[in-house]
Amino acid sequence: MIRLKFHLLLLGLLAGSVGAAPAPQHTTYLCASISLNYVVGSKLVTLSGLYERGADDAYRHFGLNFPGIFALAVDPRDPQVLYAASLNGALCSRDGGKTWRIGTSWDMTEPKDVFVDPNAPDHVYLALPDGIAVSPDRGATWPRRENGLPERGKYTQVVKVDRTRAGRALAGCESGLYLTENGAASWRRVFPTQTTITDLRQSPHDAALWLATTQSDGAIVSRDGGLTWKKFAGVPSAEALYNVAFDATNPSRYAIGSWTYGVLVTEDGGQTWTERNAGLPAEHYVFRVGVDPDNGRLFAAVFKDAIFVSDDFGRTWRKDGLEGSTVYNFVFVPSAAK
Amino acid sequence: MKAPSFVFSILAACLAGSLSAQPSHLGPIPARIVVTHADQRRAAYEARVDEVLAWRVGLAKPGELLPDMAVIAAKLARREDGELCSRSVIALMQEPGSGPFWMFPVVNIAYLGRDQLSPEAKKSIRDAWRSVMQIRGDTENHWVMYYTSLYLMAELYPNDPATSWYNGKSSAENLAEARAYLIDWMDLATTVGQGEFNPTHYIGEYAIPMLFLASWAEDPAMRQRGRMKLDWLFADLAENSLEGVLHGANARTDDTSVIERWNALATFFNWICFGNTPPPAGYGGWGLYFATAAKAYDVPEVIYRIAVDRGGDFLQRDLKRTRRRWRNSDVQLAPIYKTNYSRRDYAVGSYQGGLSDPIQAHVWDVTWAVPDPRGVHNTMFSMHPVSSGFDMQTYFTELPDQMTKGVTKEGKASYDSPDKFLGCSRFEQVFQDLDTVIALYDIPPGTRFPHINGFFSKDLVNLTVDPSGWIFAQGGNAYLAYRPLAPYELQPVARIKSSWTGERADTGDKRLYSPHLKNGTIVQAASAGEFKDFAAFQAAIRALPLEFKLDPVPTVRFTTLRGKAVVCTYGAAPVVDGQAVDYTRWKLFEGPYLNAEKGSRKLTLTHGRLERVLDFNTLTITDRVRDN
Repeated sequence: MIRLKFHLLLLGLLAGSVGAAPAPQHTTYLCASISLNYVVGSKLVTLSGLYERGADDAYRHFGLNFPGIFALAVDPRDPQVLYAASLNGALCSRDGGKTWRIGTSWDMTEPKDVFVDPNAPDHVYLALPDGIAVSPDRGATWPRRENGLPERGKYTQVVKVDRTRAGRALAGCESGLYLTENGAASWRRVFPTQTTITDLRQSPHDAALWLATTQSDGAIVSRDGGLTWKKFAGVPSAEALYNVAFDATNPSRYAIGSWTYGVLVTEDGGQTWTERNAGLPAEHYVFRVGVDPDNGRLFAAVFKDAIFVSDDFGRTWRKDGLEGSTVYNFVFVPSAAK
Repeated sequence: MKAPSFVFSILAACLAGSLSAQPSHLGPIPARIVVTHADQRRAAYEARVDEVLAWRVGLAKPGELLPDMAVIAAKLARREDGELCSRSVIALMQEPGSGPFWMFPVVNIAYLGRDQLSPEAKKSIRDAWRSVMQIRGDTENHWVMYYTSLYLMAELYPNDPATSWYNGKSSAENLAEARAYLIDWMDLATTVGQGEFNPTHYIGEYAIPMLFLASWAEDPAMRQRGRMKLDWLFADLAENSLEGVLHGANARTDDTSVIERWNALATFFNWICFGNTPPPAGYGGWGLYFATAAKAYDVPEVIYRIAVDRGGDFLQRDLKRTRRRWRNSDVQLAPIYKTNYSRRDYAVGSYQGGLSDPIQAHVWDVTWAVPDPRGVHNTMFSMHPVSSGFDMQTYFTELPDQMTKGVTKEGKASYDSPDKFLGCSRFEQVFQDLDTVIALYDIPPGTRFPHINGFFSKDLVNLTVDPSGWIFAQGGNAYLAYRPLAPYELQPVARIKSSWTGERADTGDKRLYSPHLKNGTIVQAASAGEFKDFAAFQAAIRALPLEFKLDPVPTVRFTTLRGKAVVCTYGAAPVVDGQAVDYTRWKLFEGPYLNAEKGSRKLTLTHGRLERVLDFNTLTITDRVRDN
């Protein structure tokens, strides 16, 4: 059972307003699978789907037990309205996760990301392996919105909406980054890639700053709201990078998760990057990193191993829990009124 | 989550102690005579169905609840022990499964039990379909099972609200969605070709749902679609089987079936439909579920005849399609051009190479007939063993690195093994003309597993490495000539015995290991009866004109035993007698038995004067006896 209480103000949603006001409290959610020996059809003997990290640092499962939930989004107006990108399609809940409806039909499968437009929260974006859909009605319908995407190369791993303007979004696809400024009526490519964009984030400190990770083009940065991009010189690109996270408590700190490189961090705004894997398992196949926006605590989810946490941005690590898990996403949701 | 079939292993595990109750599995090879009388064919078919059901109910322990859905389904099919079945259903529904492999056995029970299960048992089933979110899966067979199951359950409970279903959709919504998918899937299969074509095991995941649809759909149009698709599948199976043994090419097979061709669920379907082979142990596992409703199906005579009554050699060309490609490809569904040349003593089958399905494909082979196929490794082929996150990402919506490890734990233990015999490669190009196969390889440097594997069976006799460069051997009544185009060595094989555990066993087979990036194989087959003796065959092969070079790309000029001048160059269309092969003209089916135009939704089955037309445009089945 999810128990979320929210500020209704949008500015807290992405922890983007920590500069002047007191830092909002956030709840840490995870989209995770613990699927030891699971194959399709067998009994679910472990708990997968959505987890909450409690004040006692324990991870508690809530909602449906489902091994293929990849991303979670919450309506900023109503914390009971949840959207999940799942193996079965887009899941929608109107009661905080107690019950769910598959909003999409047979012609959409395996979305990897879902994102609510914070300035037009009826509009929900869905990243599909064959394009992009946008619900204009809180998940009731999911029309495709792919004008401007290529016929091939529109595999979409990630989609994020710019918090400064309704209908302005970026999508990370197989063939590059695409931008819409009209609510997905049309898209245009702003950065080409050889292989899939794996993650995309907007800075909580500077709305014009965006970072993205890729499978074979390294990490890229935009300082003009996603219009132009360039590679980070210090980030390796030979192997895939899986995701990137900002530290809401420190504008100079970013972290990248990678199967091959483990955890890469910068503490100078991307000028230099360091691998911080000491203390992680020897086979540090990092599937996901996340940074707690309240305290800068760095999480690293090691594939089918456990979640590790660092209080010094990767210099030291300790096991934090959820053993055997694959974490698809860390989601930090404002919960100051909780 | 890749394509699993965990029940295979579950059912296989229960077989060891029960083999004696499987008379057709252990008994003598069936007499391969053509049963001309319809009533005799039907009686034999029903006897086989009864044998499966009897075996399965025999595994139940007296005084105990029935342990699984298979035995419950068997008992319900025999209309016995309804009360025990009800109590057992209630117990099993306490812990529902989570996907299509659980859904369709439950549908099986729900329909068989309509007038046998107690209201409480029915309620327990219905509750399970509310309480546990069912996983749709990510492969075509998953979806066919999932949506067929959802369709039938929505029909069984037609007016239930959204809150009563696991997915939050009403019965009407579920029915509409399932129907739309199933029609779309059939549309694809009947216009551009079957995906997951000719699978050695996954045929069950298609045939069983189609049987359920044909048996139980309330909507007569959907019932008819199920019936027609079942005919379509079995006609395809009949065409591609040699005395009840499905040969290559296969979109999906496994480490066992690719070698021991008989040991496959497809054999169960040949056995139960045509009676021309022993069934595999445990009736292939899934076979039980087919048997529970099998009496509602009547094997059309024309399909039966295609399977068992072949007048002579035949050449069949079929169009299939790849699994859906999400990325790394210019097309979402690529065409597969399949060739099947069958003779009494052997069959040669292939597709053009490249990626069809990511893990378990099998591109080509020569499979020879044997009096008793049980335990026999009656096949020969070569392949490039691929293990590639890039290739996996083409078909799976996953991040790149974990898949090659993960898939080995999901019933595909060999995927990341260099000595495997399972899989297809984007660096393999194959051409077949009748009983000649030319396979060329151009493997980029840096590719994981930069070599090719050739399979040499323990059951070959007279294996001779000839100074000419050819390797000669005999399998059954087939003479085989294998010409490696690059240096190699023959190594013993510790073959993967279990796709789930990765357990290996020395089977006596040999692997031709050739660690050269530019490579190739030529195989020429012939019947022993065509030659005075084996030496005469060898002499004939040695005399065939052959030129080849491997740089800059592999190229072969070869005049086949059948007199065709074939030129194959990697990356170019094959040329036969001066004419480039034009695959764009390939029909959906073309041959003496199965014929269909691309895009037609209409398949004509022919045997002698018998003809059956399956027309998905009009949803009609038309039988006629043609004039001489």
